[in-house]
Amino acid sequence: MIDGNNEGARRSGPSVVSCGDLAFSYPGSEGAALTGVSFEARAGEYVGVVGPNGGGKSTLLRLLNGLIKADTGSVSIGGLDPAAEPFEVRKRVGMLFQNPDNGLVAPFVEDDVAFGLENLGVGRAEMRERVRRAIRAVGLEGYERREPHTLSGGEKQRVALAGLLALDPEILLLDEPTSMLDAAGRREVLERLEELRGTRTILHVTHHLDELLSADHVLVLNAGELVADVFPKRLVSDAKLRRENRLALPTASRLAAGLRLDPAQLRTPEELAEAILRRVKLGVEAR
Amino acid sequence: MRIELESVRHVYAPGTPFEVEALRGVSLMIESDEVLGIVGGTGSGKSTLAQHLNLLLAPASGRILADGVDVQTIARSELRRRVGLVFQSPEAALFAPTVEEDVAFAPQRLELGVEETRRRVRETLELLGASHLAARPPHALSAGEKRRVAIAGVLAMAPEVLVLDEPTAGLDPATREDLLGVLRALRDGGTSVVMISHDLDEVAEVADRVCVLEKGEERAVGTPEEVFYTFPEASLTPATVRVVRPLRGSHPEVGRPVRFEETLAALKELVGGQV
Amino acid sequence: MTAGRSLGQFYPVASPLHGLDARAKILGIAALAVGLFLVDSMAGLLLIAAAVVLLVAASRVPPGTFLGFLKPVAFIVALTVLFQIFFSREGETLLRWGFLQVHEGGISTGLFLALRILLLVSTAGLLTATTTPIALADGIENLLSPLKRLRFPAHELAMMITIALRFIPTLHEEAQKITRAQAARGADFSEGGPVKRARELLPVLIPLTIGAFQRADELAEAMESRGYRGGNGRTRYRELRFRARDALALVTAALVVVGGILV
Repeated sequence: MIDGNNEGARRSGPSVVSCGDLAFSYPGSEGAALTGVSFEARAGEYVGVVGPNGGGKSTLLRLLNGLIKADTGSVSIGGLDPAAEPFEVRKRVGMLFQNPDNGLVAPFVEDDVAFGLENLGVGRAEMRERVRRAIRAVGLEGYERREPHTLSGGEKQRVALAGLLALDPEILLLDEPTSMLDAAGRREVLERLEELRGTRTILHVTHHLDELLSADHVLVLNAGELVADVFPKRLVSDAKLRRENRLALPTASRLAAGLRLDPAQLRTPEELAEAILRRVKLGVEAR
Repeated sequence: MRIELESVRHVYAPGTPFEVEALRGVSLMIESDEVLGIVGGTGSGKSTLAQHLNLLLAPASGRILADGVDVQTIARSELRRRVGLVFQSPEAALFAPTVEEDVAFAPQRLELGVEETRRRVRETLELLGASHLAARPPHALSAGEKRRVAIAGVLAMAPEVLVLDEPTAGLDPATREDLLGVLRALRDGGTSVVMISHDLDEVAEVADRVCVLEKGEERAVGTPEEVFYTFPEASLTPATVRVVRPLRGSHPEVGRPVRFEETLAALKELVGGQV
Repeated sequence: MTAGRSLGQFYPVASPLHGLDARAKILGIAALAVGLFLVDSMAGLLLIAAAVVLLVAASRVPPGTFLGFLKPVAFIVALTVLFQIFFSREGETLLRWGFLQVHEGGISTGLFLALRILLLVSTAGLLTATTTPIALADGIENLLSPLKRLRFPAHELAMMITIALRFIPTLHEEAQKITRAQAARGADFSEGGPVKRARELLPVLIPLTIGAFQRADELAEAMESRGYRGGNGRTRYRELRFRARDALALVTAALVVVGGILV
C-alpha cells in the first residue's frame, strides 16, 4: 500500500479491532476474497469501509464476527480471536445486515428483540427490562406485538438494531444497513446510528460517502486488497482514488468541490448554499 | 405510444377491514420518447400506479388509454408486450438455468421463432452490458449483474413503453450510472421510459418530466424545473435545487437549474472570479 | 398488508381461552381430537359438538371468522356425505333410481362423518386462533422436552415451527410478487389443463425456492451472529405458567371425552 494512502492508520489510543495480514478465499472460487489486509480500529472510533461490490467488505465483517475463519493472518476483536471463541466475541460484537427481512427470526417484534438475550441465557426479569429499553432506544414503543411482515424496511432495520442494542455490544459491525431502504427508511436508521457514535466502536460498510464525512478514518477495499486507510477528506479531495475504487460523492459534496469549497465542512445542501452566499458577499465587499 | 390515465382510482381489498384506497383519481399523460420520473413517499401509490400501466391491476374507476384506445379492450398479452414492467428487485424472479434462457422467456412466449429470439437475447444483453454473462446461471451472479439480466428479460419483448419500479435501488454507484445511461439510450431510441424512484437526485438527472404522487393523488406534473422548485419540503427536493433555492431570493440570476452540470455552471457564474 | 385471516391464523383478542397455558390447550385439543375418533354414537358426537360450540363462544373469535376456517374442508365434507349417501347399503332403502340406492344408514353415517370432520377442524382452529405461534412452539417444545433424553430434537422442532410461521406471510408476498413479474413477461396462469398450468408455475416455484434457500442462509448467519448455538443454555422470554385454571380446562376436556364415549 502506498504510504500516502495509509495516513488514517496513524492515530492513538487502545486498539479494539485489529487485523494483521488477513487472507481468505471462499471454497471453490477462483480469486482470493481478501489478501494481506491489515488495519486497526481504536476504542470509540467510527470507521468507514468502502469500495466496489465484490471487493471484500462483507467478507471482512464476517471474518471479524467469526462467521468465517481466515485462511492466514490474525484477527483480534475485543481482545478475542473470533475463529477460536465466536460465542464470546458475539457477546461483545453486534452485526447489522443488509437485508432487513432476513435478520428477523420471531413472529413478533418483542420476541425478536429478545432473541439474542435468550441465546445468552439471560434471566427473564432482566430480559424484559433490556428489551423494553432497547425498543425505546430505537423509537419503536408500541410496536411490541407487531408482526415483521407488516413493518416498513426502516422499521425492520430498527427492530434488528434493537435486538443488537439489547446485548449492549462494545463494537458494532454494519453491513450496508441502509442500501435496501428508501430515503425515509435510511433517515430513520441513520438517526439512530448517529446517537451511538462515540459510545461504541463502529465499522460501517456503505456506498453513501456522505455517511462517512465525519468518520475517524475510512478503509478502502478493492478486489480483496486494502488500497487505502485515509481520513474522510481525502475521499473528497482525491478524484483518482474515487475513480479507481468506484466511489461516488453525493451531489452537494461534488458541487462544493467544483466550487473549491471544503465539502468535509458542509454536511447538507443548505449549508453549501450558506457558504456560497458568504463567498459571494465577500466577493462583492472585496470589489 | 402515449398512455393517458383519466381519474384512475384503485382500492385494495374492498369491503374488508383491510380496505385501502391506493389511488384516488390520478390523471396523467405519458408521452412517447420521454423519460417520466414518478416520485413520492411510501404509500403514495407509485407501485400501484405502475401495475396499472400493463393492467396487472385494473382500475376501480377511471380509464387508461393507450394511443387513444381503452386498454381494457386490448388483449392482455399484447398490452404486456407493448408495456414492459420491471418490478422492484426484479432479480428475485430469475429462474432459468442460464442467463440467455431466462432472457429468452418472454420472446418464446411471443412465439417469435428461434432466430428472432436469439437476436433479441443477444441485443438486449449487449445493451445492458451483460453479454459476457450469457451462459452463466442467474443465481450465481452479483446483485448488479442480476439486475441487468432481469431488465434485459423485459426489454427482450421490445416494448414501446418500459416501466421500472426503483430500478437502481440497492446498486453501487457505478452500476447505477450504467443503468441510467441505458434508460437515456432507450429514450433516444424511441422507447418511453417511466421510472419510479425515491431517489430525487437520480430523477433530476435523467427525467424529461416529473410527476409527484402523494397519498394516491398527483400533486404536481411538469418539467423537473417546474416541479422541483415548487415544494418547500426537503424530502421532495433534489440536492441541486436545495443548494440553489436559498440563493434565488438575493440572486435571481442564478436561474432554476436542476441537473448537476447546469447547476455547477450557474453557481460558478454566481461566485464569479472567486473560484 | 395481511391477506386476510385464513386457516386458523391467530386472532388477537382477550378471552378465557386466550389466557390459558398453551400446553393445556394443546393437550386438551389433542384429547378432544382423540375422543372424536373413539366416540361411536351420534349422541356422543353431539355432546362434543356442544362443548366445541361453547369453546368457540368463549374464545371471542367472531363466528364468521370461524366459519372461514371451515371453508377449505367444505369440499371434502360434501364428498364424504355424498359418498356415504350413494354407496352405503346399511339400513332400510329410502330411494331407488337406476343403480343408485339411498339407504337410511348412508344418511346417518354420512352426517356422522361430516360432523366429525367439521369438529376436528374446529378444534384445530380453536387452538391456533387462541394461541400465538410462539406460545404454540414453546408449548410443543416444553411437552416434548422429556423426549430430549431420547435424543429427540424438541428445541430444534420448536425453532423450525417458529421460523416457518414467521416467514409464511413473507413468502406469500414474495410468491405474489414473482407471479406478477412473470405475468408481466407474458406468463399465463389461467389457461390450459392441469399439466400445462403446473408447468407454467415453474417460473414461480423455482425462484421462490432458490430465494427461500438464500433467505435461510442469511437468516442462519444473523442467528449465529446473535449468539445462537442450539437449545443448550437458552432461556425463554415468554413464560409458560401452568395454573389452576389450566388444570381445570384439562379435566373438563377429559370429562367431555369420556362422556361422549359413554353416551
